[in-house]
Amino acid sequence: MEVGWGERRGDVVLMVRGPAVGLRVYPADALGGDRTPRRQPMAGRWETVDGDAVFVPRFPFLPGTEYAVVTGDDGPAAVLPRIPRPGTGQTSVVAIEPALDVVPRNLLRFAVRFSSPMSEGWAARAIRLERADDGAVVPGAFLGMEPELWDAGRRRLTVLLDPARIKRGLAPHLEAGYPLTEGADVRLVVDAGFRDAEGRGLSAGAAATFRVGPDLRGRVRPETWSVSAPRAGTREPLRIRFDRPLDRALTDRCLRVDELPGAGSADADGRGWAFVPDRPWVTGVVRVAVDPALEDVAGNSVARVFDRDLAGPADDPLGAADVVALTVVVGPRSD
Amino acid sequence: MAIADHGLQTGDTGMASIGALAFGPDDVLFAADYQGARVVALDVADPSTAAATDPLDLTDLDGALAAYLGCERADVALRDLAVHPRTGNVYLSVMRGSGTAGQPVLVRLDRADGSLSDVPLDAVAHATAELADAPAVDDELKDVWLGEGEGREYNGRVIRATRVPARLSAITDLAYVDGAVLVAGLSDEEFASTLRRIPYPFDGRQAASGLEIFHVSHGAWETAAPIRRFVPHSGGILASYTCTPLVHFPMADLAAGGRVTGRTVAELGWGNQPLGMVAFEQDGAEQLLVSHTAYPLMKIACADIDRQEALTEPKEPLGVPRTEEDVLGVSLMAALDDQHVLVVQADDAGVRSLRSLKTASL
Repeated sequence: MEVGWGERRGDVVLMVRGPAVGLRVYPADALGGDRTPRRQPMAGRWETVDGDAVFVPRFPFLPGTEYAVVTGDDGPAAVLPRIPRPGTGQTSVVAIEPALDVVPRNLLRFAVRFSSPMSEGWAARAIRLERADDGAVVPGAFLGMEPELWDAGRRRLTVLLDPARIKRGLAPHLEAGYPLTEGADVRLVVDAGFRDAEGRGLSAGAAATFRVGPDLRGRVRPETWSVSAPRAGTREPLRIRFDRPLDRALTDRCLRVDELPGAGSADADGRGWAFVPDRPWVTGVVRVAVDPALEDVAGNSVARVFDRDLAGPADDPLGAADVVALTVVVGPRSD
Repeated sequence: MAIADHGLQTGDTGMASIGALAFGPDDVLFAADYQGARVVALDVADPSTAAATDPLDLTDLDGALAAYLGCERADVALRDLAVHPRTGNVYLSVMRGSGTAGQPVLVRLDRADGSLSDVPLDAVAHATAELADAPAVDDELKDVWLGEGEGREYNGRVIRATRVPARLSAITDLAYVDGAVLVAGLSDEEFASTLRRIPYPFDGRQAASGLEIFHVSHGAWETAAPIRRFVPHSGGILASYTCTPLVHFPMADLAAGGRVTGRTVAELGWGNQPLGMVAFEQDGAEQLLVSHTAYPLMKIACADIDRQEALTEPKEPLGVPRTEEDVLGVSLMAALDDQHVLVVQADDAGVRSLRSLKTASL
């Protein structure tokens, strides 16, 4: 059988010399083993062009995948050369968060930021947490990876550590303990095989090593944050330094300067936030609203602690309707 | 009402992904586009005319899907399945995961001959409901949220405002109940649980409830853990959570929005995630099946659920009696017909197949 690739109306098609009698197309790995008695063929339609058979697939042929044409029910298979993948990937890991050297033992989540939109279904295969000393995988550290938690642009993936192993008093915690061990070093590894939305692997794998420190407990307390007030007439950033490292994505979402156009963004390490107004500051009081959903890296929010000590009244949650705000006084320039 | 009256328009759904599925009134299919944060109502225009009644078995489901989609097994991600209420054909939501052609596909499995086809998501009668970050809140719901707490003094100012429910980045399940689509999910940022109620036909309205449950194995009241799977039941829904409480929420409470407290009726075991739930009839009595990551298939009599008092004590009692079935490897499930439950079952080698379990044998 004489087979090859062709192009028709901009689509990649499969061409077979001669009439399309009893021909079926399969991805080659579907022919391996004989688990599918019916041998469901690939969806598509056959056309005849100048006496030759042309297969137009319902779903486009994929670069890197091997395809075969079979005659009749049990005829020989003609395997086509693979369509090469479009080069090695340019997509890379931009950041592994939290961007901290030391993370609390009760850390709730990691996040991996990529330079391009990614494919789904690779998190469980291509991300692992291992001990830094011997490279052994930390067993049962993550909550199941499905459904994968992507942001809308599919560039940031959140990976939750198993919350039931973090909350004290729960059976999984009592039986298996914290996923992380204080004083030990762990490494979050992203394999280069993680595919981007174009189906390509990463330009390189990535890893970040963390020292595991003491637990991070109690509510996030905005009243303890230090605020550096900008001066009127300037566009100096209004800076806030937090009492602890906060979740970077939530910080971007949960802090707002009321009624003042401008741009706020979290520091990479989640320890601070800066807001630059579109127009120079004017003298007066500026209000920074804090959504109580704002969480630290251990999942404690302004409204409630993640792992509440029922005997400690300081852990009592705030009411769900509360919004917390900081007031900042913008004074005149001293010069 | 015929499906023609649902306000569906023919065209490209623009779906970026496809996940949880559930049939609604007049054979309309609701599909979750979790990536696009919306729910799409589809007229699948099922071509079969008569209901098939034979059991359905398809060995190596992933292999068959990979072949049909023209990709490797690694590129197939099966998300959910639903059985057409009139024809018995099976609809599978599949992500053809990688590559420039990576795309959502709604596959139809013909009950009569086992052949595969697909519903063209770029040319189908459909309607869309976006899951808003800030739902179009009606006054009643707003009152509920505001009525929850006193204003709080902060830095000398008293401030109070409504809380916007967490953004959903992943829809875990959906179902049609009492004139509305219920959508459960979790956020990629905040660890919080939200259940949305979207009246159908879609008219732009939606309401959100914050759910509170007593988690027996955690010994605590929780509001953050997301629902994994749920089914309509007895004037409300039965919801399963990770690690693994089973909770009933009355529809009347959900319809009002705001904070809803559920009735925990069972603790099914820790270190576990529920994968599938389905209700079926056996000898005139309604039964519930729950599949798990860590435990065998479990059967629970719904009558026991209805008379179970709320569990509010840590660790035990464990609530309604349950029977562990001698069936392993089951993940997704759906009611196939009066006599069968359709399941996705993995064998020892991890090869997944569609199997019809006789309800009489459960």
